[in-house]
Amino acid sequence: MLVLMATSLTACGKEKQYPEIKEKTFVNDYADVITEQDEITITNKAKQLEQKTSAQAVVVTVESLDGEPIEEYALNLGRTWGVGDKEKNNGIIVLLSKNDREIYIAVGYGLEGALPDSKTGRIIDHYGMTYFQSDNFSAGLESIYGAIVNEIYVEYGETPEENYIPVMQLSSKKEDSEIGEIIISWVILIIIVSLYMLVFGRRGGLFIFGSPRFFTGGYHGDFSGGSFGGFKGGGGFGGGSFGGGGAGRKF
Amino acid sequence: MKKSVVIVLAIVAVIAVILCSAGISSYNGFVQKEEALKTAQSEISVQLQRRADLIPNFVETVKGYSDYEQETLTAVIEARSKVAAATGAEEQATANAQLDSAIDIWVNAVTEAYPELKADKQYIALQDELAGTENRIAIARKDYNTAAQTYNKSVRTFPGSIFAGIFGFGQVEYFEADASANNVPQVDFN
Repeated sequence: MLVLMATSLTACGKEKQYPEIKEKTFVNDYADVITEQDEITITNKAKQLEQKTSAQAVVVTVESLDGEPIEEYALNLGRTWGVGDKEKNNGIIVLLSKNDREIYIAVGYGLEGALPDSKTGRIIDHYGMTYFQSDNFSAGLESIYGAIVNEIYVEYGETPEENYIPVMQLSSKKEDSEIGEIIISWVILIIIVSLYMLVFGRRGGLFIFGSPRFFTGGYHGDFSGGSFGGFKGGGGFGGGSFGGGGAGRKF
Repeated sequence: MKKSVVIVLAIVAVIAVILCSAGISSYNGFVQKEEALKTAQSEISVQLQRRADLIPNFVETVKGYSDYEQETLTAVIEARSKVAAATGAEEQATANAQLDSAIDIWVNAVTEAYPELKADKQYIALQDELAGTENRIAIARKDYNTAAQTYNKSVRTFPGSIFAGIFGFGQVEYFEADASANNVPQVDFN
């Protein structure tokens, strides 16, 4: 049994080859769906974001996921490329698969507070779905990218770009009378999530569960770099890691 | 005569020193890898607990739509309390799998009766949080298996295996791929 598990593990370990990245490019349009203009806009936003907050948000489009679940694909890309700062783990992967008609936003450990899964899903719904459903991938990606960038700015205490509307205040299509209720339940939800971030978050967790030996383990380093490709070899990103946070949609 | 005894003693001493330092370094290696395993394991428990904590919120939201799915809801509540009471990784995993299917059955029953639920923002938000937590659990398990593989390899391969035997480091089991773990709930818009 053990041997069997081990072999299946190694089979998994070989994995498929993800696209390699040679230099730090924020827009990786392998499916060729992003217009030149949008690519420039996103790249400029990305550079400014990195400069102000050190966060790295990368857009990737692929023709197909080859059967891999999109949340895994996005996470593995993020880890392999090491998107985000190595200490802060503040990377974002926005992955769109053209043929699978799916989008997923993977959020690095360090940004899970700014972009909890529910908020991330809401961003796709509000800023992207209409575009994606009408095959306007480029505009959809540009639109959700702007929303993501703003949420990160707010998290880092920077001024968001113009026209910023906090995701929580986006108008609900129906039942405006219940908006108070909606906001309250959002607040409760976010409190729950933040509590977990505080108590069990990457850094917090060490104090709760850790004996001093944890600090010598180098365990997180192994995952963010060692087993998934080098910190620097990745292609100029910071070496950040991901833990499975994010949200996705089919369209 | 005396001279050869001294030489033999010196050789024995040198060998002992080499063995000792090899033993110490492999011992430290084992400890380090074992701690990595523990971290991975605690990450799994944290995510399982997080999910259990999200459920009451979820229940409240869906309850607003339905008072009639009491039977399936009771199953969810029972399964959740089992997760809370579970001790040990295996029991936890079983309880968790049961909770998985209980939620699925209940949500299906409710959304079938109340299709408008799928457009409810709060419902979608909770679905996203649950799906994200599911995904984190899956990743944490994979990470655990990777750590376990590294650890087992060091325990089983020579010369580490000798020291592992002396210090009592045994192999650890892998997390079996749980079929339901691949079933990340997706918000369906069709």
